[in-house]
Amino acid sequence: MNLLDIKYHKCTLQNGLEVILHSNENIPVVASNIWYKVGSANEKRGKTGLAHFFEHMMFQGSQNVAKEMHFRFIQEAGGSLNGSTGFDRTNYYEKVPSNFLELILWLESDRMGFLLPSLNQEKLENQIGVVKNERLERYDNQPYGLAWEFIISNLYPENHPYSWPTIGFLSDITSYTLEDIRKFFKKFYSPSNASLVISGHFNLKKGKNLIEKYFGELPSQNSLEPVKALKAELKENKLIIHKDNVNLERLYLGWHSEKAFGADDAPLDILADILSGSKNSRLYKFLVYEKEFAQDVTAFQYSGKFGGHFMIIATARPGVSMSTLKKNIFRILEEVRIKGVTGRELLRSKNGVKSSFIYSLQNVDALADHLNFYNFYLGEPNSFNYDLNRYEAVNSEMISKTLEKYLTKPYVELQIMPKEKKM
Amino acid sequence: MENYRTEKPVPSEELDFVIPQIQRFELENGLAVYFVERHNLPILRINIVSESGIKFDSNDKKGLANLFSMMIDEGAGEYSALELSDEFELLGSNFDIKCNSDCIYFSLRTLKENFERSLNLISSIISDPHLYKEDYEREQRKVLTRILQLKDDPDEIANMAFDYLLFGKENRYAYPILGYEETVRNISSGDIRLFYENYFMPNNSALIAVGNTNRQELEEKLNNSFRSWKAKSINEIPEPMPNDQTARKIYIVNRKNSVQSEIRIGHVSSKRNIYDFFPKMILNMILGGQFSSRINLNLREKKGYTYGASSNFYYYKGSGYFIVSTSVAQENTSNAVKEIVNELHSIRKGITPEEFEFAKSSVIRKFPSNFETNSQIASGLTRMFIHQLPENHFQTYLEKIRRVSLEQVNQASLKNIFPDQMITVLVGDKSKLSSQFAPESIVEVNENGLIF
Repeated sequence: MNLLDIKYHKCTLQNGLEVILHSNENIPVVASNIWYKVGSANEKRGKTGLAHFFEHMMFQGSQNVAKEMHFRFIQEAGGSLNGSTGFDRTNYYEKVPSNFLELILWLESDRMGFLLPSLNQEKLENQIGVVKNERLERYDNQPYGLAWEFIISNLYPENHPYSWPTIGFLSDITSYTLEDIRKFFKKFYSPSNASLVISGHFNLKKGKNLIEKYFGELPSQNSLEPVKALKAELKENKLIIHKDNVNLERLYLGWHSEKAFGADDAPLDILADILSGSKNSRLYKFLVYEKEFAQDVTAFQYSGKFGGHFMIIATARPGVSMSTLKKNIFRILEEVRIKGVTGRELLRSKNGVKSSFIYSLQNVDALADHLNFYNFYLGEPNSFNYDLNRYEAVNSEMISKTLEKYLTKPYVELQIMPKEKKM
Repeated sequence: MENYRTEKPVPSEELDFVIPQIQRFELENGLAVYFVERHNLPILRINIVSESGIKFDSNDKKGLANLFSMMIDEGAGEYSALELSDEFELLGSNFDIKCNSDCIYFSLRTLKENFERSLNLISSIISDPHLYKEDYEREQRKVLTRILQLKDDPDEIANMAFDYLLFGKENRYAYPILGYEETVRNISSGDIRLFYENYFMPNNSALIAVGNTNRQELEEKLNNSFRSWKAKSINEIPEPMPNDQTARKIYIVNRKNSVQSEIRIGHVSSKRNIYDFFPKMILNMILGGQFSSRINLNLREKKGYTYGASSNFYYYKGSGYFIVSTSVAQENTSNAVKEIVNELHSIRKGITPEEFEFAKSSVIRKFPSNFETNSQIASGLTRMFIHQLPENHFQTYLEKIRRVSLEQVNQASLKNIFPDQMITVLVGDKSKLSSQFAPESIVEVNENGLIF
């Protein structure tokens, strides 16, 4: 599809920084998006959560930018900004009126090159407080908030890089020292370990010159130790029961699946959509709509650089047992394994993927992140059509085969139960 | 170090931004249309906003408008509920319905090539919904379970209790969108049909269209699709009753084993379409409306009490309120409340010229990025309709911001922030919270804000 053929210019600076430029003159805004190739998968046990914590420290000012001023300068320019951390990568992004492009390049390059001189104990302690609260607010104090942690720590072996949560364990968060931060920066925040996308309303030549001016002189380290990711496999089913402050029981089933962009990745995504992506999806229709066994049901696949997992999550209606949910989920999976799926189901999912790609072209910042995403996993930023074709190629037989390959293997089962019956 | 490193770069040339033109017209059935034409991508966004939100629910049937909004696409015309959903998905169109206090909102995102087909489906939904009893009973059971589920979520509990305590039981904005278990049980499928007959009509609604089409084509398609949706006589819009302010108390909803406290502090405030909207907007930018605001910098970046804290002036069509929200570790609850109240006192003493210039600059320069996506533009137009803003709202927006003076912002603080009239709602473990406050200031309430 022509629309999804994204024209870009790519180059690598002397210091190894990858630069990807995409000009789009729709409205006068421009976005910057940097991916550092470091995520929680690069952490060690005892210091889990450090990649995410480090992301916080990147907003605490750098040598030429005082604390709080990073946010302030961008907001003063009418821009928006943030960052996020996952298993595989950490990203930082800004969107500003296009005449402020130089401002964001200045800010991003200052923290890429000159973060350490401005670090101090006070900033560290302040952000430990903030991140502790982030964990409490988003996980510990949320109903079902710890489910994720239980799943991955049981699904992946203890030394696997996906076996701990990106936010980190509370006892690890409180243990960070300035030395940890410095080491982490030196190891991972090198220009050669990052890629920068500029997308939106700007002049390519001028943009390139500005990037050279601000990033070209930053020194690189180049001794990254590769992440060791052993093959993760479950020998037998595991059952975990956890009591929480909730009214409704919820069932989680998790299997190992495929890596990002591996051969079975797209069929598993389509399978997840056919299982739970709409009112007519197999699990939703039966469990929620027809039988009212469940209040909600979700199936999805996470696929990353070092592994993947397929999840099915269902919340039981009052009075419905976990075994009823489980039995019916497995029955429906078995049906798909044997009989496959219909052409209409496939078409529904594929049309959904196609149109969501087109809708996503509206935001220059979302597009910038997408270009970095493709560049990171595929080495080619302009991969919308490649990606779409992967989904277009999925057929019923592939769905049955991948289902058999992954979802008939041992799994982790987590049941979250009410602490006390309130009803 | 080179100068270009140590000094903040200045912006390059001034921007040239053309504000999209809004075209207004009416369909044959009286439905008002707001249209912005955009040809950058082959897509369209349609919002239909109908002033038939939960403010029309009677006391014994709270939750009716919401249930109606869940029911209206459960089968229509020649399609069953499942078939309707299947048709939208086959087209790759996203269709969604939401309900709040003032209105019910339909939204559609579609490829241009599937616009007409999607529109026909919506036309069936709007003018010929089935509203069958068996579908109703299923949706009713779903809501009842959802009400139970919301009681697990400290954030939802805090909002629900706050709304009720803030507006008081006589006010229609005091109630949760879903209603209560007792009132939802009280609603029958006949009530849904009556609601449709009495409250859902083109003459209290508007259609907002943004995207790749032209006026003539759009008008023709819309007239064809909505011809059978007929105007009716409008029900009187209930004027919200004044609230009996039971202020100055600290209300605690006990949630055993909480590891954090949800905090809501605020009071009733003016509605949107009056003279000091823009000064209030600048004021809130400085006080708690964004990351670099006083409240967030103090509670997060200075004290490390929270992941984030914010303030907001929230506008209903008929009323409004001011609110500060955050969540903190339990042991810091009273300290956080104290800091918030200090900030409210302190903003009334005036803002600095630097803060003023910062906030103005931020709002003015952000303006073009409000027009990036079709859905952003559609939301802007939806607000225009709900709050009855002048048609030149976008054209005069920047000028109105530029004209705001520092003195007007200070006046806005004095007229809109009353630290001594705040109600405070805390959701957390009572055993860990009570000792942090004077016993006479605490009142325990349930999840709905009712006093024990």
